[in-house]
Amino acid sequence: MTDDVTPADEGDLSIREPPKVLIPLAVLEGETVPKTLATFLDPADIVVLGYHVLPDQTSTEQASMQFEERAQETIADVAAVFEEAVETRIVFTHDRDQTVERVAADIDATAVLHSNPGGSIDDVLVPLRNAIDADRLADLVATLVAEHHVTLWGLQQDGFDAAAAVADASERLTDRGFSADRITTETTTVEGDPIRAIVARSAEFDAIVMGESEESLRSVFLGEDEDRVAEATVAPVLVVRDRDTGDDS
Amino acid sequence: MGTTSDTGTNRAGEQPTTVSSVGDEEGKASVTDDGTELERTIGLKGGLAIGIGTMIGAGIFVFPGLAAGQAGPAAAGSFALGAVIALLVALPASELATAMPKSGGGYYFVSRALGSLAGAVVGISIWLGLVFATAFYLVGFGNYAAAVLAEAGVPVGGGLVTPLAVVFAFLLTGLNLVGTENAAKLQNYVVGLLLSILVVFLAYGGLDTVGVFGSVRTRETLLPFGLFPVFTTAALVFTSYLGFAQVATVAGDLKNPGRNLPLAMVGSVIAVGILYVATIFVATSAFGSARLETFGETAIVEVARQFFGRPGAIAILLAGLLATVSSANASILSTSRAVFAVSKDALIPGTASRLNLKYGTPHVALAMAGGPVVLLTALGEVEILAEVASFLHLVMYGLMCVSLIAMRRNEPDWYDPDFRVPAYPLIAGVGALASFGLVAFMQPASLAIGFVIMVLSAGWYVYYADDVQLKGAL
Repeated sequence: MTDDVTPADEGDLSIREPPKVLIPLAVLEGETVPKTLATFLDPADIVVLGYHVLPDQTSTEQASMQFEERAQETIADVAAVFEEAVETRIVFTHDRDQTVERVAADIDATAVLHSNPGGSIDDVLVPLRNAIDADRLADLVATLVAEHHVTLWGLQQDGFDAAAAVADASERLTDRGFSADRITTETTTVEGDPIRAIVARSAEFDAIVMGESEESLRSVFLGEDEDRVAEATVAPVLVVRDRDTGDDS
Repeated sequence: MGTTSDTGTNRAGEQPTTVSSVGDEEGKASVTDDGTELERTIGLKGGLAIGIGTMIGAGIFVFPGLAAGQAGPAAAGSFALGAVIALLVALPASELATAMPKSGGGYYFVSRALGSLAGAVVGISIWLGLVFATAFYLVGFGNYAAAVLAEAGVPVGGGLVTPLAVVFAFLLTGLNLVGTENAAKLQNYVVGLLLSILVVFLAYGGLDTVGVFGSVRTRETLLPFGLFPVFTTAALVFTSYLGFAQVATVAGDLKNPGRNLPLAMVGSVIAVGILYVATIFVATSAFGSARLETFGETAIVEVARQFFGRPGAIAILLAGLLATVSSANASILSTSRAVFAVSKDALIPGTASRLNLKYGTPHVALAMAGGPVVLLTALGEVEILAEVASFLHLVMYGLMCVSLIAMRRNEPDWYDPDFRVPAYPLIAGVGALASFGLVAFMQPASLAIGFVIMVLSAGWYVYYADDVQLKGAL
């Protein structure tokens, strides 16, 4: 990384903001990070969040008395899968989503991992379907996808200019020294639910990087977009966080 | 997990355990010595739902008939008196809870301010106090379940009340053992629904009573039996206010406790206090207290029938089922937290706070709640159950007020509450006197049972844990 150059410089072949990836794991339920995924994520700063969700009738204090040591040991094992030293946190909670959101905001994470088993990671899909923090996305992809291939796929819908978003993301990637011949760009016009289209194509890829979902009627009934994608595919899903969210929600 | 060395051990060689005292991230999570975070997940709404949900079952759906029978229309005064006493205690409890936002509630404050003997007496009696309260709510539930069957045309006598209550005692304990997902969220909705039904019912009934819709209802003298029954009735119906301190038992899980704890405690007392007084007013105006008494525990259903016909009766029956179940369930949960708090401090064996590995629930503590609840429910004595529950809680409330005075007169370094009671010697002093004073108006049988429980608790402490030091240990 070059320290002397101001990050805002056009054409600077470096990462603007080193990406930080939050990995939430149900640590006492045996969730762990596969070696292939750890290798893929290693270039980023990693924070492993081991959480344990308790039934309402159990106080967090009570659970920590009994399970804290086991949780610490388990998370140390998970951390050892990574080459670089990673930060670990343990949280006892009654609400998983609240905990993940709080910690993500606390460490200002670039992206949150929705873990899936997955295999070795060569082809990465970046579906662009709504506004996304393009700088964060570029930082993340350029850092992680060192030798592999990335597909920028714009999903054209009402009120979203997919072609422009794809061109913009592609430019930001090459700005960071990402070679253009490792980028595939395409645009599709989708009718209806873009998530269904993403799920349908996900089998061709080894990992998916996408933006946060917007509140919509659909997400109220079907669940958050990223959860739907993560549930329907075997590939790990990284969700890029918008910059100032999660603080007071 | 850190243990302090100078706190002494119990007969089994266990020491009090201290957890999570290091830090707090803006009231969103507390942090233990080892850096583990404990997420705070209950908001103000959740806190109010615990307080209101625990209380509302009794005052509206069980007591109106009994109270009106004892004190006449002035029973409304008994409920108001109960609310005032509850508020006098809720304020000191709020200050103590914001200074010590730990799970355990009243027991925790008393043990830290007045030492382990007082702590043990309160801790063990509050466990049993909650057991009595739960049994009382369940008997109330049994009455409603039987009334629902009767309404549906199933021929049942009063003989079915106790079996129904006992079956439900088993069911609730079992459900809590295997872990009910989203129980807290469900509680929020149930309380919301209950409040809506009650507000509509009471608003219509209230307007009708003052003559807006024409018919002027029963008029009777305010104090048909004199002033004394107002106090004895207040002692009986005080069970309707036991829930507010239960908010403090989940203090460790409450977001931003400095703000939300006092608001939830005081807010829930005011909310249910108004509803109770309005209910008695409407109910005694509709029927007159003598007739109301003959309807017994489900008197409010007849009041609804009077105003709205059969649909009204059915709505209130269902509301009564929901309210009594939610009160019983909230109390079982509080009981298990109360047991955890004393067990953590080595006043009872540590096994009591073990969690079940499969379900993550405190199965020993829940069994210590559910087991005696089943037994007491089988007795089916509503008034004795209610009074003993009140007795044991009132002793704790009185001692909480004393604790506040003790803390303020000699503030430890760590004592830094976000909320300070104005004119504390007056409020806490009157709160303590009122709490102890109310006990004096109870039936001799209730007094005897309560007293024996306290003596046994003290005896247990001397036998098992008289070496344990808790005073001033945060």
